[in-house]
Amino acid sequence: MTGAFQKAFDLLFSGDAQLWNIVSVTMRMTLTSSIAALLLGAPLGVLYAATRFPGRKILIVINRTLMGLPPVVCGLLCYMLFSGVGPLRELKLLFTVTGMIIAQVILITPIAAGSMETYLSAIVGEIRESARGLRLSGGKTLLLMLNESKYALVSTYLFGFARAMAEVGAVSMVGGAIAYKTNVMTTAIMMYTNRGDFTLGLALGLLLLLISLIVNVFAHLLQRRRA
Amino acid sequence: MIELSGIKKRYGTRLALDVPELLFLPGERYALIGPNGSGKTTLLRILAGTLKPDEGNVRLSGLERGEIGYMPQKPYAFDLSVVKNVMLSLGGGEDARKAALAALERVGLIQLAKARGSRLSGGETQRMALARLIAKSHKALLLDEPTASADIYASDMAEQALLEYAAETGCTLIFSSHAPSQALRLGTQAVALEGGQICEHGAVQDVLKNPKSECTKFFLSHWKL
Repeated sequence: MTGAFQKAFDLLFSGDAQLWNIVSVTMRMTLTSSIAALLLGAPLGVLYAATRFPGRKILIVINRTLMGLPPVVCGLLCYMLFSGVGPLRELKLLFTVTGMIIAQVILITPIAAGSMETYLSAIVGEIRESARGLRLSGGKTLLLMLNESKYALVSTYLFGFARAMAEVGAVSMVGGAIAYKTNVMTTAIMMYTNRGDFTLGLALGLLLLLISLIVNVFAHLLQRRRA
Repeated sequence: MIELSGIKKRYGTRLALDVPELLFLPGERYALIGPNGSGKTTLLRILAGTLKPDEGNVRLSGLERGEIGYMPQKPYAFDLSVVKNVMLSLGGGEDARKAALAALERVGLIQLAKARGSRLSGGETQRMALARLIAKSHKALLLDEPTASADIYASDMAEQALLEYAAETGCTLIFSSHAPSQALRLGTQAVALEGGQICEHGAVQDVLKNPKSECTKFFLSHWKL
């Protein structure tokens, strides 16, 4: 066990091409999908929390259901959409990083929307009441709401980023874990473990943990600033 | 002048407010008194236009909705500096900043002008919210328990600022309070409420020192004036 850890550390600092390709694909996929999910989900969250329209409550319930969407189910749906017999086969997205990104966006967008909706719902009533009392315009009130949710926005992004990075079910089904193409850290850990190559798996696991630690330290510092 | 007629507001099946007729005259200072759940906040929110009544209407004459300032029971302190919080309804520029600082001076918060609004205590937030209103000219101010979270010193400063503002602008003050002593200090008129209905209204001295209705007597029996 100790030997495996030693080898994993050595591998991390050896500049192994395969390992750093996996890390590079992972970062590209994670950064793109988490930013896209935030750009789609955050406005939806603001819409759910700050406005009233017919069907809003139904949409919130649907969103909360999708927050718990199992990644393998998302992967299966995307697989069916992108496969040779699926309606989106012409786009040739199966076993591509773009396809993996789309699957992750589907998974994370409801989480970003739900997180923003939960945060804003708690303060929107007081903000609106105070803003109306001061006779502020709707546009100015919306800007103030966005200003109030800036820390929540960053926390939501970091949470989405961590979720995207740690996700394995959807990306393995849509991406296929093809070496030097769609293999990401989580799928690679599974693959190397199945092959009995614990060293590379452990090195990737350590990297994942390190990135998760950095993300959580950021989230913690933000929460402290908000308190 | 603000005139209410046939106002009814229900929360579910509970009738929270039932005011057949009520008149607020310009330049007067009205204290809304009554126990929790008597309808003070509902009445103020309907007057402010942040809550729609189920029935009846509010008629404004001699003033427009935009000339009425309203401070809710839990005013929100935005994550801006205190002085920028006060400037929100004033716009930008040096004049707005000066007006905001003068209002903060009046409520005794000038030393916190650069602090974050979100870091203020409950009492400080209420005084900041008061400064947001008195920094600008209004024809009527609606205040929901404006000093509920403030200590005696802060409450005194806020009351003094309100009285000065009312004297300078001639605006109508309508405020709710649980404290009859505050109603006497700030108000010229009193409206006593219970169960969403008006028990009695009239000159503050009459209503508080010689109450006629049983509900006002009962409410005041718990206070030593």
